[in-house]
Amino acid sequence: MRQHILGNLLQKELLSPEDANRIGQFESGKPFSLHWELKTLLYLGVLLLNLGLGYIIYENIDTIGHSAIIALIGAVCVVCFWYAIRHRRPFTTGEAESPTPYYDYVLLLGCLLFLVLEGYLQYQYQVFGTRYGLATFLPMVLFFGLAYWLDNRGVLSLGITALASWVGLTVTPKDLLARNDFNSSTIVYTAVLLSAVFCIVPFLSERRDFKKHFSLTYLNFGVHIGMIACLAGMMALNQTVIFFPLLCAAVGYFIWYARTRGSLYFLTVAVLYGYIGVTYLLFNTVRAADFFFYLFYFVFSCAGVIVFLINYKRFIKTNTP
Amino acid sequence: MIAYDQTQLDSLLTRDTTAEWHRQGLLSDEKWLAVQIAHPPYFYRPNVFVRIGLAIFAMILIQSVIGLLALFTSPSAEISMALFCFFTGVLTLVMLEVWAIRAARHYGSGVDDMLLYTATTMLLSGVFVLLMSGNTDPLFFSCIALPVLVAGAIRYLDRLMAAAAFICSLAIVLQIANKAPGLALYILPFTGMLFAAGAYFFCKKGQTRHTWRHWHKTLGVVEFLAIVLFYLSGNFWVVQQAAAYWFGLGQVPMPWFFWTFTFAVPVAYIFWGLRQKDRLLLDVGLACVAEAVFTFRYYFHVMPLAWAAAIGGGVLFATAYFSIRYLKKRSSGYTYEADADKTLLQEIEQQLIAQNLTGQLSAPADQQESLGGGQFGGGGADGQF
Repeated sequence: MRQHILGNLLQKELLSPEDANRIGQFESGKPFSLHWELKTLLYLGVLLLNLGLGYIIYENIDTIGHSAIIALIGAVCVVCFWYAIRHRRPFTTGEAESPTPYYDYVLLLGCLLFLVLEGYLQYQYQVFGTRYGLATFLPMVLFFGLAYWLDNRGVLSLGITALASWVGLTVTPKDLLARNDFNSSTIVYTAVLLSAVFCIVPFLSERRDFKKHFSLTYLNFGVHIGMIACLAGMMALNQTVIFFPLLCAAVGYFIWYARTRGSLYFLTVAVLYGYIGVTYLLFNTVRAADFFFYLFYFVFSCAGVIVFLINYKRFIKTNTP
Repeated sequence: MIAYDQTQLDSLLTRDTTAEWHRQGLLSDEKWLAVQIAHPPYFYRPNVFVRIGLAIFAMILIQSVIGLLALFTSPSAEISMALFCFFTGVLTLVMLEVWAIRAARHYGSGVDDMLLYTATTMLLSGVFVLLMSGNTDPLFFSCIALPVLVAGAIRYLDRLMAAAAFICSLAIVLQIANKAPGLALYILPFTGMLFAAGAYFFCKKGQTRHTWRHWHKTLGVVEFLAIVLFYLSGNFWVVQQAAAYWFGLGQVPMPWFFWTFTFAVPVAYIFWGLRQKDRLLLDVGLACVAEAVFTFRYYFHVMPLAWAAAIGGGVLFATAYFSIRYLKKRSSGYTYEADADKTLLQEIEQQLIAQNLTGQLSAPADQQESLGGGQFGGGGADGQF
């Protein structure tokens, strides 16, 4: 197939014979890349190791080999961190390339095993007592520190997750433990605030030129947490007056972001969430309307959205600086 | 034969290939620009995310229009139901041909995909409604569905239709084999293997044909399914479950054969995949190793699950580690450097990475944790245990 394309271009004189020669040589001598397969193996290896060790530690409580297992996990964890620190690149405010192919995975394994150990120590010895906040605060600080120091987006995601559960925990720990139903409005409000933070951080980092490439990780968490929280506020808490404007603001923000940065991912996601919100609001307010109304609504609204999405190129292009 | 403009498909192919050469530094900027000018973009082909969004909205839109039509015509009797299905099917097909492909020049935009799937579904449900009254053999229905699916895959170069056609023809073959009195149990696994082998060699042959170049990816999907089917036909777990389910048999005949097959085929896949530099064979082979391990563990509990996971993880990591080291040191026909050829999965992964998203923690799981607010004492990220 490629030979045909090459011949065709040569015939049309779009390529010189030297070019064609070079490309032909490249195509025939191209090595077989095992990149993706090996990366997947590394990743699966890390996940399985973490899973297996996480279970083993709980299964062997009160047996003789118990402390040996803990020591082993601790040793692996330390080795991982030692490796990560030894092979690190010098700190930059920009993006640093991974020093070795396995670097990211070793660091990830270290972090995951740290969580296993910490969770176990809390479970068995109540190291943190009832200060549950501390149990998530500690890994959060560690992960954020490592993510910025060693420049690793995977660890940053772990840190963000730890932050989210830390906030969720300190807001309602007593309610959670005293009664089984937790105060969901608190959690929704917290989620909205958290996502606002995730949307602000990228701006500060871009302005200061500090780890700019982290901003999309923050925004990806921000967009989903924020939009789902707004929808939950509308549907579960029935506080449409507060949450619908918030949702509109969030959709507007992300469409604006998509427009200025040319990010089609955020465009699609924002449009989808916005559509769910508008549809819910409409169906909830216009209750008595008949079936025709709903169908017509879907026909016209979907046609509108499709036209909008198809013309996104024009929409994005005219506005890029 | 193809609904899309063929010269434009060729031009698209040229654009994509030269873009890759340009990325590899084999083509100067001016040359690449000249190629681009000579082959201007013609089709509307959005990026993956927009395609997904368009597909979702197009689906709601088409369903609503069909719902409205149903409300206005309110078909009730069997014949009128079938007629309604045929009518909407033809209507969507006309929409696809005249509007989406001719006028709006969509090609893999999500909208044309959805129109095609709806048209096929409606046409086939029309047939189904007609046949439902009599006590028709499912075999007969499969035989009617197959040409429709094959035609869809050929005319619209659609991969999902090709997969459906493959599964449909497999159903036909298995149903026929199942009718063999007394012998069905012995024949079924080998029928599956033979069918898969036939499909595989057909696809391999077809992919080398220049005149079939536009079906390259369509055939690739069938090839993938054929490789998977071949392994599953002889996998001990699959055979044992099928024997127990359909024939009420506790014992599998010829267990030694199926056990050998379970372990030998993945190894053969990986070996041939590496030898022939066939990525599909290699990847499926790796997945089959996992399937073989699961099969073994299902019948023999040699080790607690946790230990098996930990040791397996260690082995995987070590294998990858030493392979990468080996590849980095030596220059052979293999490399660890990323390749430009991409499968759909890799394409999506790359799109995600390009957007600087980490795939290491799936977003949905995280939202649940943040909204559910740490019901788990250990915190969010350690949800793995």
